[in-house]
Order: sequence, then C-alpha cells, then structure tokens
Amino acid sequence: MYYLLQAVFIPLLLSPLAYYIGKRHGVNASTWFTFAIMLYSTLMLLLASLQGRYEEHYSWSQLGEFGLLLDGLSIPFALIIYILSTVLVLYSKPYMVHKIVEQYEHEHANSGGAPVKAVVEVPVEYINSNMGIYYALYLAFAMGMLGTVLATNLVQFYVFFELMLVPSFFLVALYGYGARRRIALMYLFWTHVGAVVLLIGLIAMGLAVGSFDMAAVNEAAIDEGLLPFIAGAIVIGLVVKLAIFPVHIWLPYAHAEAPTPISALLSPAMIGIGGYALARLVMQLLPSTYADISLWLNLGGLVTMIYGGAMALMQDDVKRVLAYSSISQMGYFLFGISSLSVIGSTGSVLLYVSHGTGKALLFMMAGMLIMQAGTRSLARLGGLAGKMPITAVTAMIGGLAIMGIPPTNGFMAEWMLFLGVLESAVSVEHGSLVRVVAFALAMAATVLTAAYILWMYKRIFYGSREGMEHVKEGSMYMAAPMMFLAVLTIVIGIYPDMFTSIIVPFMKALLGGGL
Amino acid sequence: MTDLNMLISMIVLAVGAVEESADRFIHNPEFDALALNIWLVWVIPMIGAMLSPLFGRIGSRVRDTAPAAFSLASAVLASTLIPIALAGDEVHSQYTWIPDLGIRAGVIADTLSIIMSNLVAWISFLIMVYSIGYMKGDPNLVRYWFFMNFFIGSMQLIVLSDNLLMLFFGWEGVGLASYALIGFWYKDRVKDYVGRIGHHAWGIAQYTSPSHAGMKAFLMTRAGDAAMLAGMFLIFIHAGTFEYKLLLEDKAWADLMHSNGLLVPAAVLIFVGAIGKSAQFPLHEWLLEAMTGPTSVSALIHAATMVKAGVFLVARLGPLFFAVASNNVGLFFEVVTWVGAITAFMLASQAIVNKEIKKVLAYSTGSQIGYMLLALGIAGLSAEFINGYTAGLFHLASHAMFKASLFMAAGGILHIAESRFMDDMGGLRKHARRTYVFMLAGALSLAGAPIITSGFWSKDAIFASLLESHYIYAPALFWMAFLTAVMTAFYTIRMVGMVMFGEKSKHLQELEHHGHKLHDVGAIMWVPFGILAGLTIAIGVAGPFVEGQLHELFSRFLLNSYGVESHGEVAINPEAVASSVIAFGIGSGLGYIFYIRRAASPEVVARSAVAYAVYRFLENRWYVNSIYYWAFVIAPLFISRLAWRYFEVIVIDGINPAFQFAMAWWSKVVRYMQTGVVQTYIYAFAVGIIFVLLLVIAGSGA
Repeated sequence: MYYLLQAVFIPLLLSPLAYYIGKRHGVNASTWFTFAIMLYSTLMLLLASLQGRYEEHYSWSQLGEFGLLLDGLSIPFALIIYILSTVLVLYSKPYMVHKIVEQYEHEHANSGGAPVKAVVEVPVEYINSNMGIYYALYLAFAMGMLGTVLATNLVQFYVFFELMLVPSFFLVALYGYGARRRIALMYLFWTHVGAVVLLIGLIAMGLAVGSFDMAAVNEAAIDEGLLPFIAGAIVIGLVVKLAIFPVHIWLPYAHAEAPTPISALLSPAMIGIGGYALARLVMQLLPSTYADISLWLNLGGLVTMIYGGAMALMQDDVKRVLAYSSISQMGYFLFGISSLSVIGSTGSVLLYVSHGTGKALLFMMAGMLIMQAGTRSLARLGGLAGKMPITAVTAMIGGLAIMGIPPTNGFMAEWMLFLGVLESAVSVEHGSLVRVVAFALAMAATVLTAAYILWMYKRIFYGSREGMEHVKEGSMYMAAPMMFLAVLTIVIGIYPDMFTSIIVPFMKALLGGGL
Repeated sequence: MTDLNMLISMIVLAVGAVEESADRFIHNPEFDALALNIWLVWVIPMIGAMLSPLFGRIGSRVRDTAPAAFSLASAVLASTLIPIALAGDEVHSQYTWIPDLGIRAGVIADTLSIIMSNLVAWISFLIMVYSIGYMKGDPNLVRYWFFMNFFIGSMQLIVLSDNLLMLFFGWEGVGLASYALIGFWYKDRVKDYVGRIGHHAWGIAQYTSPSHAGMKAFLMTRAGDAAMLAGMFLIFIHAGTFEYKLLLEDKAWADLMHSNGLLVPAAVLIFVGAIGKSAQFPLHEWLLEAMTGPTSVSALIHAATMVKAGVFLVARLGPLFFAVASNNVGLFFEVVTWVGAITAFMLASQAIVNKEIKKVLAYSTGSQIGYMLLALGIAGLSAEFINGYTAGLFHLASHAMFKASLFMAAGGILHIAESRFMDDMGGLRKHARRTYVFMLAGALSLAGAPIITSGFWSKDAIFASLLESHYIYAPALFWMAFLTAVMTAFYTIRMVGMVMFGEKSKHLQELEHHGHKLHDVGAIMWVPFGILAGLTIAIGVAGPFVEGQLHELFSRFLLNSYGVESHGEVAINPEAVASSVIAFGIGSGLGYIFYIRRAASPEVVARSAVAYAVYRFLENRWYVNSIYYWAFVIAPLFISRLAWRYFEVIVIDGINPAFQFAMAWWSKVVRYMQTGVVQTYIYAFAVGIIFVLLLVIAGSGA
C-alpha cells in the first residue's frame, strides 16, 4: 500500500501546489489544503504504525536500499512529528496572517521613514502568496523530519536530515522575529556544522562495513582503531542538534525568533530527532561503544538539565524561557537514554512524546500571547487567567507535562526515565557512585523545572497588570488545536500503554533482559 | 556465606508466612460484589469535576448543588464498604494498566482504607455543603467546584489504591488541587494576603500573596515528592512491583535491600514525601501560607484530609516495613517519631504568638499531625505495634473532625468580622451564638478538655503509647509531647478568648458604625460544622469505648493484612490520663487568665527583654522561613544570574563572533540569493526538491 512512501512524499510533492493554491485562492484554501495533506499523511502513518513493526524497501543506487521503517523506536517519534505538524497547520492560519501583516506594515512604515506609524494597507495578494510560501516550506519541513526518523540507510538519513534543515532555515529567515536573517544563518550554520560532522561519521561507518544500510552495520566488523572516531563524530554531530551544553548556543535564538508555530515544531519535534538518531545510530548500531561513553552522556544530560533550567529562570521573554526549557528537557532525554536500562530508555522515548505535546502547548500559548496581548515580555504580562481561560488551562496542562506531574504523559515519561537511571546506578554492571549522585542531582533538578514553569505561569496568568484589561481569547483556529493537544497529553498520561507496548519490546531486544 | 544466610532466613520467613496464614480470616466472597463501589468512590467525584463546566452553563443552582451531590454519592458508596471493615475482611480489584512493565491498576478496601475513605468522604460532603454558603457570590465558582471534586477524587485515590504508583497519581492530584485552590483568588488583592503586611524577618517578607503561596506550596511538596519517587524506585528496582500485597507476599526484596544497605534509606525517602505533604519539619513552611485559600479549602485540604495523606502513607507502609523486616527498620521509625515530635513542638510554640485566626489553626494542624506521626513512629519501636498505631489513627480521625469544624467556624467569623486578625474581633459570642458554641466544642477538643472530648482521648492514647514503649528516648519524647499539649491548650483558649470574649474591637465598632450588622452565619454554614462539633463531643463521651473498638479493628487488620500480631486490650493508663489532665489544666488556665477573664495583659512579655526575644523568635517562625528563602530562593537565583551574565552572555554568546569569519562566506552566498524577490527562494527550493527526487529515482533505476 506504500503507506510510508505516501506519508513522506505526498507533502513534498504537493508543497508547490500549496503555494499556487494559496496564491490563487487565498489563505483559507491553502490552509485547508495543507491540513488535508497532513491529515491524510498522518492517517497513512497511523495505519502503518498499527501493525507494530512495518517496513518498506525500495531498491536504490549503489548506496544500498531506500527504506522506510516503523518500529518500537521510530513510531513514537514519527507519530508525534506528524500529529504536531497537522494541528499546527490550523494554528498557523490566524497567527501567520497576523505576522505577515505586521511584517509588511513594519517594513513599509520604515522605508517611508515617517516618525508616526502610518496606517499601511496590506495587499491581499501579498498575504496570499506569503501564506502559500509558508505552507509550502512547512510541508517540506514536516516531511523532512518524518523522513529522518524513518530512514534505514545512512545516506538517506543524512539527506533527510539536511532536508528538514533547509526549509526551517527559510521559515526563520523569512518570517522570524528580530534579526531574523542573522539568526537563521546562525541556526543554519550551527546545525550544518553538526550535520557535516555527522556525515563524516556516517560515511566512515558505511565505508568501514561496506554498506550504507543500517541493517548491515555490525560493530564487530569495524576496525577498533576507527571506532572511537566514527562514534565520536556521530555523537558530536547529534549533540549539536540536541543542543546539549555547551553547544546549545543556537537554540535560544532560533527557537525564540522563529515564527511561533515553527517554534512549536522546532522545539519539541525537531531537536528531539537528535536524540532519536543517537538511539538509532549509536545505541542500536554501536552498542558496546555506546556503553563505554554512556556515563559521559549521562553527565552531559545532567549538566544540560540543570543549566537549561537555571537559564530559563533568568529570561524575561516567554519564548526564550521555553527555548531554554527545551535545552533542559533534552538534557532529561539524554540522561535517560544513556541509562542503558530498558525502562530508562523507554522513559526517554516517552519523554519525546510528552515534551512534544507539552512544549508545543506552551509555545502555542506564547503565540496566543503575542497575538492577543501584543507582548511576550513577562514583565508586561499578568492577570490573564480569567481573560484567556482556554489558553490558561491548556498551558497549565502543557506545563504539568513538562514538570512531570500526573495525570499528564510527562509523569509517565519521567518516572520511567528516572527509575531506569537509578536502576543502572545501583546495578552491578553499570553501577557507580557517580551515577547515584547524578540521579540525586537530577531529582533535585525536577524541582528547578517546576520552579521556572510555575514562575512563568504566575507572571503571565496571575496577579493583575495594567494594559492587560482588554485581552481576549484568540480564534478557535488557535484554541482548538491547543485543546486537542491538551486532551492527548492527558490520555497518553493515563494510558501510556499505547506507546510503551511498542517501545518496551524494542528496548528489551536492544538492551537485553530485565526491566 | 552471606548468600547462604540469606537463603536460610528466606526459608524461615516463608515458613513463618505459611503458619501465619493458617490463622487468617476466611474471605467472604459476597463482598466481591462491592468491588465496583470501591472504584466508583474515587471515579464519581472525578466525573463530577469534569462535568462542572457543564453545570456552570445550566445555571447557578445546578452549578452549586450538583458538585455536592456528586460528593454525597461518593460518600454513600464509601459507606457501603463499611461491612467489609467490620468483618475484618478485604476486597481487592485489579486491571491491567502497563502490562509491559508488569504494572496493574488496582484498588483495595481493607480496614484502614475503608475508615479513612469514609472519614474523607463525609467530611468532604459537609464541607461541600458549607461551601455553597461560604463561596456564595464568587465569580469563579466553576473553577472552585472543579478543583474541589477533583481533590476529593484524588484523595480517595490515595486512600483506595493498592499500589504506590497509583497512589502517586492521587498524591500529585491533591497537590495540584491544593496549588490551584491556595491561589484561588489569583488576582492577588491585598485583602487576600496572609501575614501582617510589612512583617520582615532577616530581610524576608513574612506575608504572602495567594499566587505566591500556591507556588511555594507546590514547590515545597514537590521537593518531598522527588525524594518519595526515589524511594519508590529503589523498592521497585528490588521488588519489581509497586503493589503492597506483592511486597508483603515475597519478602526477599527486603532482605536484598537490607544487605545492600538500601532498605532504611528507601523507607526514609518515601517518608520525606509524607513530610512534604503533611507539612512536617523541615518541609512545614508552606502550610502557613496556604491559608490564602478560601477557608472551606483550608478546612478540607489543609486540615482534615490532604495533609493527613502523609500520615496515611505511614500507616500504610509502616506496618509493611515492620512486617517484612521488623528488626532492620528501627531507624526508619525513629526518624518518623522524631520528625513528628519536633514538628508538634515547634509549630505549637509558633501558634502561641500568631494573631491571625486561620494561621493559628494552621500551625495547630501541623503540630497535631506531628502527634500522629509520633504515635505511628513509636508503634514501630514498641513491643506492641498496635498501641501506637491505634493512637495515631484515632487522633487522625478525631483531629479531622474537630479541626474541620474549627476551620469552618473560623470561616464564619471571617465573614462576620471581615478581617483575618484576631485583634479585630472580640466579644463576638453575643452576636454569633451558634458559631460560639460549636467553636467552643471544637476548641475544647483541640485543647484536650478531659473526659468529654474526642481530642482528650486520642491525645491520651498517644501519651499512653509513649509511656508504654521501651524506646530509650521515650521520656524525652514524652516531655516534648506534654509541653506541646500545654501550649496547645493555651493557644486554643487564647484564640477563643480573643475572638469571642472581651470588648468589641475598634474594627468591629467601625463596622457597626457603618451600618454593618453583626449577625451569625446561615444554616447552610453552621449545620456542617455543628454536626462535626457534636460528633467530637459524642465520641469524647464514648471515648474509651471507641478506642477499644478501633483497637480491636486494627489489631485484626494488622494480623490479617500484614501478619503483625498484637496482644492484650486497651487499658486506661492512669499516668497518661493524669498528664493529659494536667497539661490541659496549665495551658487552659493560663489562657483563661490572659484572654477570657483578662486578669492580666499579655503585653507583659514586652517588659522583659528575654521574653520579648523569645516572642520575636516565635513570631519570626524560628527564622526557618527566612533561612529557606536565603538558601533555596535567593542563593540559587543569584548563582543563576551570575551564570547568565558572565557565562551564557559573555562566553557562550561570545563564541558567535568567533565564527563570524566563517559566517562571512555564508552571508555572501546568502546576500547573493537575497534578491528581494520571494520567487527566487521558491525556485531555489523547487530545484532542491527536484534534485532530491532525481536522486531517489535515479537511484532506484540503477
């Protein structure tokens, strides 16, 4: 049925059409057209995931096969990427129209050099064609992310990895905030450097085993002298993507200044792909090397977790709080995935899911504030709980997911994650005092996470603030996707079995026995 | 060698278990039909919570009465379980939840959970009814009712769940409800603050806004919960389960953990969660600020139920640890005992000097919970586990009733006097007769008035269990408990005196002057706390009988559920009775002289430098709050700011200019592309897509 081929390529092939439909028939048409494409592709993906493990292979060049694989590791990632991409299409409509109009006004008011801000008439064609471009890039971005997590071939993986980078670069450069071109370049530069280092590792690995198919990679066949360099290059390439301390520098800029729906995709969905790749390329393909470096990754995760949380406390810009929070959350991810325990790794993958829904909700809240309250500075926000009840409730659910409080999926992810870390810390094989101390510090860091989320929430929604009297709830295009994600967050939190039943067997097969 | 020993001890334990099970009760299968009711007890309030936005749409009558109806339904269902407890039986019901990790969802109705569940359910119902009157006219009632029912459901989940993971769901659920209701008046108007505005100690404000108080409560209990999770994980790693019954069945995990030296640490870590939730030292500071919530919330969450969750957890796990490793967990019980004793003493001393009626009650709540933990801890250090255990739970039940009643009465006073300070009250007994009578009943019970109050008997039981234990520090603990009892009687009588006796304050005279008539609260408010006040007297009159019954129920429960045997009956301990009476006499006598007869002015303390220093020390909460703010708020923020200014901004951001050279090349390329015409981008983009497609197609052809 070519489920996965459709899920990956239909958005890409139809993306130019989204542009033309937008240009010809307006914003509504392009929004719903894009939504339909994403919905269809998500359904294809869902149908394929229901089969548990599902593979498609197409013969390719000398580089091996072009394959698309859904298994216990890639299903959660793939589903979250497409679910978020689908609901954010609707959210984008009012938000991006607002943003494009604002940008036009800004540019045209400036070029005139008038001191008083003139009322600028924004041509409808301008909006339509820009929304078209936005959706075209959006589709390509979504497909790039999905392709990366489904790839079964090292070169194919790299191609998709770059493919998701390019459209996101354009999205930031064209529709971002602040010094958007400079920031987009910085984003492109950093992740590109990471990607190139990754590519070197991947090519070396492929040449060493004589095939670029992941299935053919056998750690034992790789020359021992070469192995550390291969693993090192891949890990370094990926931690840049994950934004692990101290190579996190690009993230706060890119995520804070990207147009908000794109932030909501970049932050939870895209950077986590670095974590996916770490599990797929290093943990699965080079298990014994991974075991050797796991302690260092564990500590890197711990430092990132605390550092990101501490920096989040220092921000005044809502989107920057969330950006640093994402850095911290990727620290959690790395902390769990390097535990070498089945339950800990399961927790990490589930954390991608919970961070996906939770952080997307919080970024959507930020977008709502930018549109409705006209600011994203915490110092100027306040007292909005009663004025924006839907936003307040859904943001609280998102915040609970990030803090790891039941009944959200964040709790399910975090207890498994931390239990796994503690399990290996007291185990005979990998146990060490360092890991025990790391666990204790990480548990303390969960309080830090709660602190920055609650403090941010308090400053946005509680108290009272001048200038916020007339703020109202935004359009249903924005509120409905938030409600959907909030419900999803809780449903997964109460019944995580839909994910654990596929992740746990995968991790058991990978890491062997035990829990 | 050690392995061999372990094997032998395991065999001995296994044989022991078989022998014990021969004496165990025979399960009555008729009770299994009640399994559904156990689930419904916590599910129904949850459904009520989910529906509350809908009720809000229908109309204000439905909005305010339907939630109470849901809590009534839950209470009735809880009562259907009582026969199980009376028969000493238990009903256990389980479903699969996360099968890949061997985790099941389940509920259990045994003596402990049924008694607790009924207590929670009926007190909740009374407070829900009270809320209808107390919260009348508030614009955000849908939110209020949502969180009240959500709270009840979560609390019942804690009580009824059969494993630690599900308990934790309820545990965080009540925490969330507590956070949301403490900060219920989120607009932070000055009149909703607690503490005297402008009161600082060591540079730290001792007054708080509702939203700040909510956050403080959440973070402090979260710190306890993090420790609790760590303890739960340690047990899961060794036992492979969170279920109490499985933990009891196979005791090998306890021996394994003991040999690793992890058993006591795990137990204590779990207890830290209880410390946080029950506002015990050193995590007690949040409870005082929690008084920013509506008084009905304080009555339900911060007096009668949620703060008892920690005690419940110890009552659930204490016998479990005792049963699986009685000789190796003594240290755990010592920790419980001392935490309880210190908290009881510390918070009672602070209640003496406070001027806010709700805060006096809050200090008192923390202090009384300290008593309960003291009793549960001493149980594990005594020859007879049952005595301390019964005493702790008896005090839990009796405190839940009189403290909920006192809080509700205090809420009525707040309505009448329109101030939270007792200085602004005075002489109210003539204007609010019913509130006065019921408040007096509750207060006498809290103070431990001999023979006729439930508080007297339950406190007496704690004294008795202390006196009868052979723990070497029991005498010291007894003196702490005794002094606490003196202080308790004093501050309780002081509260009644300041509110009800003496002259009307200036504030009240002004109110009357402005045409505000001082009149008693309506029936929808006084009936609920009247019922509870009456109950505490009724139980007091039948005190020894009730205690005997509880003793009987719990000894059967401990034997059947945990295999912990007990001997003997309850006997009145004359020493304990005498000391209870003396403590009440001293404390209430002093309170009477200063605050009711007003024969002496309490301002005498200002005359002596030492007395005044003590007064300041107590008023500033032993400076614990200030220390916490410096250590856990100001210092971390300072370090974060240093890291932000001098590391993130200078070093990390400084990396970028270093790369500017490299980026110059990129920017040239991009500047070339930036023709200003968006189409160029699209063409470039289309070329990219075609390139990828060609790669794929060409590849597949080859």
